[in-house]
Amino acid sequence: MRYARFMTSFILLATLLSPLAKADQLADIKKKGEIVVGVLGTDEPNSFIDPATRKIVGYDVDLSEAIAKKLGVKLTLKQLSVAARIPELEQGRIDLLAASLTHNKEREAKIDFSLTTLVTGQRVMVRKDSGITAVSQLAGKKVLTVKGGTQEPNIRKAVPTADVVTFETSLQAFIGLQQGKGLGYVNDEVSLFNNYGKLGDAQKDYVILPQNLSIEPLALGIRKGELGLKKLVDDALRELEKSGEAEKLFFKWYGPNSKVKFDKRTFRIDSDKVDG
Amino acid sequence: MAFDLNLLLVGTYHDWLIQGLRLSLGIAGITLVLALPLAMVVALFRLSPVAALRWLGVMFVESIRNVPLLAHMLFWYFGAPELLPDSLKRWLYAGNIEVLSATVALTLYTAAYMAEDIRSGIRGISSGQFEAGRSLGFSFLGTMRLIILPQALRVTIPPLVSQTLNLWKNTSIATIIGVGELMYQAAKVESSAFRSAEAFAFATICYLSVSLILTGLGLFYRHRFPVRSA
Repeated sequence: MRYARFMTSFILLATLLSPLAKADQLADIKKKGEIVVGVLGTDEPNSFIDPATRKIVGYDVDLSEAIAKKLGVKLTLKQLSVAARIPELEQGRIDLLAASLTHNKEREAKIDFSLTTLVTGQRVMVRKDSGITAVSQLAGKKVLTVKGGTQEPNIRKAVPTADVVTFETSLQAFIGLQQGKGLGYVNDEVSLFNNYGKLGDAQKDYVILPQNLSIEPLALGIRKGELGLKKLVDDALRELEKSGEAEKLFFKWYGPNSKVKFDKRTFRIDSDKVDG
Repeated sequence: MAFDLNLLLVGTYHDWLIQGLRLSLGIAGITLVLALPLAMVVALFRLSPVAALRWLGVMFVESIRNVPLLAHMLFWYFGAPELLPDSLKRWLYAGNIEVLSATVALTLYTAAYMAEDIRSGIRGISSGQFEAGRSLGFSFLGTMRLIILPQALRVTIPPLVSQTLNLWKNTSIATIIGVGELMYQAAKVESSAFRSAEAFAFATICYLSVSLILTGLGLFYRHRFPVRSA
């Protein structure tokens, strides 16, 4: 009885307090003088730890920096695992997600998205000696990827019989491929090209299959209903696009001088709509 | 989003979770069967009259017990198999290397803890019993097998049950090396269906009920075979 009463008052208290948590986030950020942005830090070149400075850098970080500047507040980065991204945002432990986040219809039920900041395909890297040249050949084979992203559902959709094994970081999945623990490694194209660039002399032993599993529009994640913050973030992104800064950032991280080596940019930061 | 109980009772997500539960139980079962005899051997090593064996026992227990299980898992998955010759490695990797590595890590880890419980159980038996056995002409192993261990078993079962509980919960760490156990499947349901509450409620109920059954068995044993005072 005592316990039941305790629980009732606890629940009552929680209900009473929850509206406070829903105060305007933009105002909170300005008051704190700080915006906490969730990043992966394990997904070069979107966000990763620069071995020289030990700081988290990357495309996602530069975008966050620009938004913090627009807000006139200090940027604090918080490293998250792929699977923890959306829960951390929903529970308000971070203000914004800049974590190689795919914008899709299913996720729109949970969080809001900024304008699309990058469009990437999702592909599969295999070892050449596996003899695999098409995604369909992965049927019944072990395929490695990261836990909690869109990679796993996408490969399952493309090859329903594949034996998908997931890890906490994409780097672990990539090591698994190199050690021969799986035949394929699934990730966003930009990350795959980056991993491939790091292989050095071993590049001749690996190949990235040409077929796209999906096209992934990446965007920043915003807590549901925080319209003030969304407007400001979108405005900051639009300004970056207009000034040409967004294009510069793209080529800085994905251009011919990077490990990804894209020679053109096929999208613009101008829409927050995605196809079903 | 309301709690969707149906999702846990039928359909693909139900199948995934049950598959995870089965694998968790399987890993815990096999580990228990392997870890118990190993723990017994290590405990006897630690009590052996031979100094070198005692040292081996100490080294085993301390080197394993003082490193987190997570590190053991990563080592047995990403590290140790890489030291094997190529052909053996390829053969291993073609099979379910995830489950194998997890079982090895869990067996060693659990055995180190169980060895300490068995050792303290044996030490709990009055040394007069051991001396009496030896003076009647029994060998070290004979004294252990016929006089000490049967009595020590009754003292040791409760802490061993609690180690088995730990083992059962520790199987969840295997998720880190891609083993499709219960936590892994729960995370899979979460990322496919965005049903975190349902998936983790299922996992929690499974861990809790198996743990309670184990505790119940331990209580039953203690009731049925109480420790005899010497």
